[in-house]
Amino acid sequence: MAAITFDGVTKIYAGKPAVDSLSLHIDDGEFMVLVGPSGCGKTTALRMLAGLEEITSGALSIGDQVVNNVLPKDRDVAMVFQNYALYPHMSVAQNMGFALKIRGESKAMIAEKVRAAAEILRLSDYLDRRPRALSGGQRQRVAMGRAIVRSPQAFLMDEPLSNLDAKLRVEMRLEIARIQRLLGVATLYVTHDQVEAMTMGDRVAVMRDGHLQQVATPQELYDRPANDFVAGFIGSPPMNLLTTRVSHGADVTLDILGQTISVPTRYAAAFSLPASGEVTFGIRPEDIVIATEGLRARVERCEALGAETLLHLSVNGPGASQHLVAKTGPRTSIVAGDDLSVTFALEHAHFFDVASGATLRAAS
Amino acid sequence: MKARRLTLSQRRQLAGVVFALPALALVIGLIAIPIGQAVYYSFTQWDGITTTWIGTSTWTQAFHNSDLWTALKNNAMLLLWVPIALGLPLAIAVLLHQRVAGWKIFRSIYFLPTAISWVVLGLVAERFFAYQGTLNSILHAVGLSGVTTNMLGSESTALAALGITFVFTMIGTNTMLFLTGLATLDPSLEEAARIDGAGRWRIFRHITLPHLSRFIQLAFVMTVIALFSALFSLIFVMTGGGPGYATTTMEFLIYQTGFSQGQFGTAALYGIILFLITGAVGIIQLRLIGSDK
Repeated sequence: MAAITFDGVTKIYAGKPAVDSLSLHIDDGEFMVLVGPSGCGKTTALRMLAGLEEITSGALSIGDQVVNNVLPKDRDVAMVFQNYALYPHMSVAQNMGFALKIRGESKAMIAEKVRAAAEILRLSDYLDRRPRALSGGQRQRVAMGRAIVRSPQAFLMDEPLSNLDAKLRVEMRLEIARIQRLLGVATLYVTHDQVEAMTMGDRVAVMRDGHLQQVATPQELYDRPANDFVAGFIGSPPMNLLTTRVSHGADVTLDILGQTISVPTRYAAAFSLPASGEVTFGIRPEDIVIATEGLRARVERCEALGAETLLHLSVNGPGASQHLVAKTGPRTSIVAGDDLSVTFALEHAHFFDVASGATLRAAS
Repeated sequence: MKARRLTLSQRRQLAGVVFALPALALVIGLIAIPIGQAVYYSFTQWDGITTTWIGTSTWTQAFHNSDLWTALKNNAMLLLWVPIALGLPLAIAVLLHQRVAGWKIFRSIYFLPTAISWVVLGLVAERFFAYQGTLNSILHAVGLSGVTTNMLGSESTALAALGITFVFTMIGTNTMLFLTGLATLDPSLEEAARIDGAGRWRIFRHITLPHLSRFIQLAFVMTVIALFSALFSLIFVMTGGGPGYATTTMEFLIYQTGFSQGQFGTAALYGIILFLITGAVGIIQLRLIGSDK
């Protein structure tokens, strides 16, 4: 088992960087989730770690060894593929034991390791089956089994749950996290699903357009996003981002399309707000409260999700409007077309620079 | 009285039968009836005009005819070229699949023989193997005059020349077949194997080859059937079945017996023997394919 370090790793495809100067450290035993939208470079980063893609520049280390020029077979990492990549002509046991066979281990040793892994993964009854005779969840577990029998230095997982239905995905999420903690192997898990990222990772690295945006624990990412991209990507529904004009008086005043809200200085003090001009005001849907007085908005649509209701609101001004999503309780009497007022839990407010998108939170 | 309406299932069945009828008519007219006729003629003496029923005497005489055994032996000897006619295209396909430099041009070049008439290929091969042909010119040019030979003129080498030409004619089809098979191989399987520690040879042995097994079986059937039933044009233009009977295969023997010697009854019998051999190969192969669960 070993730590993994990306040190300024870059991958250029056709003159364009797919991954740009990625620096990321994964501790031994840590579960790191790499998350981002399609095309952000997360899978390329994973494939570089696996040795399936060459590195254009930078250094990639597993343990103390720089592995830039080490063949995949010599890296001692195990990978779970999005489509599982199970060998169709081999049984479950043969799939799981293939790497050990290649390594030249004895048949008895292979059988013992496969049996032990199958027990962990609850696959003991399926060892003689071919992959095509298994359900999606079982195939996924075989792919996991193929990885864990090897006792590798690191696990690499490329969106392993994306082919499963929603219910099975939740089950396997827990299962993978359980196995990873049981084995304590450094893991890099790639996904575009921020729920997976938040629920599975010890830490989460958010990527966009080949650049690393932020690395933090899930709660830290949620509470203190480094920029408006992370703020908008993490959380479901995402954070509301409103363009406002700021001015300072006794309190800080924000102008949203002609309506104003006051941010008490004790909350605004955490941010380096400009004396005047535009800032992006961020507020999570659950931090919007329906009140008798406040920012006036019109309900455009109600989405009843059972345990909660999402209200899609528009704040209208002269010739412009801004969109907000608020989360409220179930069985609300509010309907589309209603006009209402909302206030904000401003202790949870965020401010971002309009141009760069970076957080204006003062360094603590 | 109102006519009884057919159920949906009955209407589907009826449509199936109606659509199958034209194909069935062709199979009966062009395959089943000629086979039946061949069986009938094999019990007759038929010179192309008059038919005389002679019972099983053609059958008993045929098996005492050394020409038949020579032709069968030649067919068996040509079977030895089948592994090469499969192995060489497999190697070419694997190389092309690696996207080596110029792979698109090479792919077209290898496929070219498939688009050319076997008569033309036979003529080219005849010029290549002739005593004053290309092969011997090359051997002279590289200082190997001592090994020059008239391959098509010698009983010991003519069949080999035919085998080599046959391999050449099959390269295009089989290469394309294997390339198709390789294109259906999920690249992540190879990547998974690489990460599992396998090198090139083990990936080929444990991943690529098992994946291609169905394609190899199909290529085997096609190649063997071509060997038994499509060599006529090559033999006709390259050797005429000679020297002696050195390159006479069952297929060529049928032609000679029927059209050169006018013994259509015997030719029909040889046709049945050839049909049974190719049928047996096909059935065995289909069984093997079917048993691969």
